[in-house]
Amino acid sequence: MSQEAKVVTKKKVAGKPSLLTPNVAGFAYCPGCQEVLAARLIAEVIEELQMEGNTVGVFGIGCSSFLILRLDIDAIIGPHGRPPDIATGIKRVYPENLVFSIEGDGGLISIGGESLLGVLTRSEKITVIMLNNAVYGTTGGQMAPTTLVGQVTSTSPKGREVAATGFPVHAAEMIAIFKGVAYSARGALISPATYKKTKGYIKTAFQKQLDNIGLSYVEILSACPTNWHLSPVDSLKWIEEKMIAEFPLGEFKNVDKIE
Amino acid sequence: MVKAEVIIDEDLCYGCGHCVKFCSKDCIKITGDKFTAEGYLLPSIIKPEECTACGVCAWMCPAIAIEVYKYEPELVT
Amino acid sequence: MSERVFVEGNEAISRGATAAGCQAFFGYPITPQNEITEWFAREFPKMGRVFVQSQSELGSVNMLYGAVAAVRAMTSTSGPGFSLMQEGISSMANAELPGVIVDVQRGGPGSGTIRTAQQDFFQCTRGGGHGDYRTIVLAPNSSQECCDLTQLAFYLADKYRNPVIILSDAIIGRLREIVNIETIDFGPLPYKNWAIRGKAKQKDGKRRTVDHSADLYHRDPNFVSFLIRLGKKIEQMQKSELRYENYKTEDAKLILVAYGYTSRVAKEAVNMARAEGTKAGLIRPITVWPFPYEVIREKVRQGCKFLVVEDSLGQMIDDVLFAAEGRAAVHFVGIIDRHIPTDGGMILPDKVFEKIKEIQ
Repeated sequence: MSQEAKVVTKKKVAGKPSLLTPNVAGFAYCPGCQEVLAARLIAEVIEELQMEGNTVGVFGIGCSSFLILRLDIDAIIGPHGRPPDIATGIKRVYPENLVFSIEGDGGLISIGGESLLGVLTRSEKITVIMLNNAVYGTTGGQMAPTTLVGQVTSTSPKGREVAATGFPVHAAEMIAIFKGVAYSARGALISPATYKKTKGYIKTAFQKQLDNIGLSYVEILSACPTNWHLSPVDSLKWIEEKMIAEFPLGEFKNVDKIE
Repeated sequence: MVKAEVIIDEDLCYGCGHCVKFCSKDCIKITGDKFTAEGYLLPSIIKPEECTACGVCAWMCPAIAIEVYKYEPELVT
Repeated sequence: MSERVFVEGNEAISRGATAAGCQAFFGYPITPQNEITEWFAREFPKMGRVFVQSQSELGSVNMLYGAVAAVRAMTSTSGPGFSLMQEGISSMANAELPGVIVDVQRGGPGSGTIRTAQQDFFQCTRGGGHGDYRTIVLAPNSSQECCDLTQLAFYLADKYRNPVIILSDAIIGRLREIVNIETIDFGPLPYKNWAIRGKAKQKDGKRRTVDHSADLYHRDPNFVSFLIRLGKKIEQMQKSELRYENYKTEDAKLILVAYGYTSRVAKEAVNMARAEGTKAGLIRPITVWPFPYEVIREKVRQGCKFLVVEDSLGQMIDDVLFAAEGRAAVHFVGIIDRHIPTDGGMILPDKVFEKIKEIQ
């Protein structure tokens, strides 16, 4: 008669992705900042696509640039707004690499407007990621292209006024118009469901590049408690109640072929 | 039998409260009696027996401070 | 590979870059260097190399920044575009990237003119962008030099992991001359262990990073330690990379100093002066940075007078005055001495010879 025994095994269900390196002494993200969470999604997707050995991340200026210290992939940091150009340079000379650029809203749409327009025009086979927190975070919370109407920032102390400063820019919708764009989506990280969906957007975006279809874009609404002057939990509520009303989530373009 | 274990790295945690918000079983709470050297209030697993090891607290933690383990009985012959 | 062709300076630069193994070129339309961009647009795709017309010079210099993290690459422009590139060049200097940037000078400031001038000297030799850095600046004065110095630029950029500038002008750029195109071997260079290849292709399997703040991104222990390192690099370039030409200076009592197209004008004026018995000579900087201060000082010690010939209101003359340390007379033939006062004017040997006679 065979022996039977009950053994309890301990299985890890969730933890740190291997491409995400520990917090480096000397730079810490604010409590409740979701930029590292976005980096976590990127790290998980790169691992799942088995592209750790062939990925180059391009970073600009801002809190997102310090993700270079957290993501264990080849990385280039360049001047404010220039990542799409830099990504063009490295992708064109090493087309077999997965190349993505990551910036905040101020970097990509304001100072980086021409670089963004350049890659959209030329339909570069790169993935552009934008972390949208509706302010210039690193420099203390100044008004940015995606600042909501009426939102108080350090350079719109009475709230963003339409007459003087126009309206928030909808980058994902705008980018979807370009013919050379294969994919444009906007996600958030306010719940497990949106987390999963946003991770799916990143995976789809990277796959569009690997399949050489066209430019792919993912925008992620990201909490900035320090500059919004809200608690980390209230920041998530602000995204849910205010930001998503202005910046709807979803896929705005998803094509498998561009002719 | 203990079903799951949630380990929060108290060197990395800065008390943002996202894990408290996202636990669907209300297992985690910031009780106010634990804090770090910088003064961040640390969360505690107040209902470890309710934890199902869904992993959502680890996913949503912006400090990447949480690990979740599941204990599974296995029959071995 | 050896080829003998009859081409303008602009094309000679393109061919020199190709001979040096340049893998990518990024450019934007601007007169008087469109021939460079157009040559690469025609020829590089045929060779399987990369050509991209960017959306602006801001784009070109940053595409260059990304590409040279991996391979040899180049961009080209003229004055207004070169101004747009300053942040990128400053960033390359901090990031220790080997970019090659060509400036085919035109009249300035602003949109200036589309024809020649020599008004970008300060911008090139004093860094040009923000912060403490210098770049080697090579100044060809013929199509042959356009080809050869471009090859040298790639070598020096890799040797020092620093941007190198090629300072040409519209006349040299559009003047057709015979060029022997040969790949020049400047010597061995170390394996680029720092370059980006993808972790999978690195010998140690580890990632590589390129950043433009050694302090912010923890590349150096601190800001000052990084600057000490950069300062040593600058010193080394100054000590080892000076290039110049002495033309009939051995017994000369009047030394002309000129670079680029005006150096050929000055050479002609020296010949005219010699024919009339005046002992004139020419020191021609080939690197305008590092600048031949000691060569000039030697002539100062011999009691020489100096005549700077420069198609500007006076930029290189500052370096000659600095070398002279107030112990020699320094005269000037500049942009207001052009043969006609228009954008199409230039400094001619007659005018320089006239000045030589006047100084004597």
